[in-house]
Amino acid sequence: MHSTDSADAPRKSAVVVDDTARSRDASRPGRLQGALFQSIGDAGRAELVERRLASAITGGHLRAGERLPSENDLARSFGVAPTTVRESLLALRSQGLVVTRRGRNGGSFVADSADPVAHARTALAATSRVALRDLGAHYAAITAACVRLAARRAVPSEVQQVRSRLGRLDESDLEQWRSTLDDAQIELVALSQSARLTREQMRLQAEMSPMLRLIDVDETSRRAQPVLLASVVDAVEAGDDHEAVAATERMVDAVINALIDLQSQSR
Amino acid sequence: MTTATSTSTAARAAAIVSQYFSAPIASLEATATLLGTELAASGNLGPLSSQQLDALVEPHALATVSLPDVHIYGAGFIAAVGLLTDERNHLSWWQGDDPKRLLLAAQSVNKEHIDYSELEWFRVPMETGRGHVAGPYVDYLCSDEYTITIAAPVHIDGTFVGVAGLDLLIDSVERQLLPKLAELGDKVTLVNSVGRVVISTDPRHATGDAVRGGALAELERTACEGVALEIIAE
Repeated sequence: MHSTDSADAPRKSAVVVDDTARSRDASRPGRLQGALFQSIGDAGRAELVERRLASAITGGHLRAGERLPSENDLARSFGVAPTTVRESLLALRSQGLVVTRRGRNGGSFVADSADPVAHARTALAATSRVALRDLGAHYAAITAACVRLAARRAVPSEVQQVRSRLGRLDESDLEQWRSTLDDAQIELVALSQSARLTREQMRLQAEMSPMLRLIDVDETSRRAQPVLLASVVDAVEAGDDHEAVAATERMVDAVINALIDLQSQSR
Repeated sequence: MTTATSTSTAARAAAIVSQYFSAPIASLEATATLLGTELAASGNLGPLSSQQLDALVEPHALATVSLPDVHIYGAGFIAAVGLLTDERNHLSWWQGDDPKRLLLAAQSVNKEHIDYSELEWFRVPMETGRGHVAGPYVDYLCSDEYTITIAAPVHIDGTFVGVAGLDLLIDSVERQLLPKLAELGDKVTLVNSVGRVVISTDPRHATGDAVRGGALAELERTACEGVALEIIAE
């Protein structure tokens, strides 16, 4: 399974260097500090930018044919040099994820061949059952904490907004189906009024969403999901935090079971 | 229980809150009017691209975030669906202490396809044609923080083309406004129009909690002029 965010990877490795360096040469920190605080360099950064864009494309968050922001915009936003962005785009091009067109309407675009569902299928096949269950446990824990707070804090008109979003689910367009369900899920957990928990839920949603597209294809699993989510919404509206948590656990169980079933069918 | 003291405390607290929000709201309303005029002018020259829009919005956004006295985290313009030639949805938004344009594609969590037309800060100004104070709420699109968004609709010849907005983090509101309210001596709680605690000088009333069902629910609320927030004094 791909990671959705690896921005803190170099920081972690810098800490590891710090520890070993100190234990090995505690008496001479001065000389080591020079090496320690050296710039991590743009080489590692290009790879980070590449990984972040790659996971956005394979996750289906940037769609086939979509134009990427300009190199300068990306550079400014990531806080790296334009040459670093160019380097990462070159790598993405060689992976076949991005194409570059010249001319007046030129720029970098997500390759038409970049198929998030195919990537999700590969990712699911490569994920162990224990890892899937653990992902479910993490997701359920965060969601449950959110809806527990939401049940105490949300006002009925806010819950009604989530419900009306669910009302716009359209089975004839599975892409719309998935993004509407994702939006409704995030909108519901944001009613917890907790920014930390909502951010965590968004990371998990981005990780789960490509795999959930795989089970959306099956009519039974697809139709079960909004019904299960609606029962969480109902409990939040009723201010029943225990039921909101129980309904969340039923929802996550159903999804993880569907993923495991799908995995064993294709093996 | 309403005493003469708590009534006058509430009135003074409400005046402090009105004063705090008045400059950002005035700045936003001026921006919304100016943007409408400028957009109409550039629209006469042909269809508008996201890049042209960003160039129009940037000076207004940067001026708003650098207003003195009130710490504004982000500001900009969110286009109505279909306004631009090259993008269906577009956020022309600058945020942070060293304000940078928000680029959703570059974020670790992908937000490019979040449908913002249903979010309160966009929907209410669009539907009512009037400015709106949304929140406090978890802004999972722009700031990623617990936020108040003030938004005003932008029109070209009566047609809605998007909203001009600004974000205040509750963290900053607490730092800047709470000491002033604490000076009043009594327990003062600021709530929004749905009865959610924004900040309170009483540490038992947590930001984000709903007053309904609690001790505050029965107390009188005093409106803050010019901003849809209310004071409860104990």
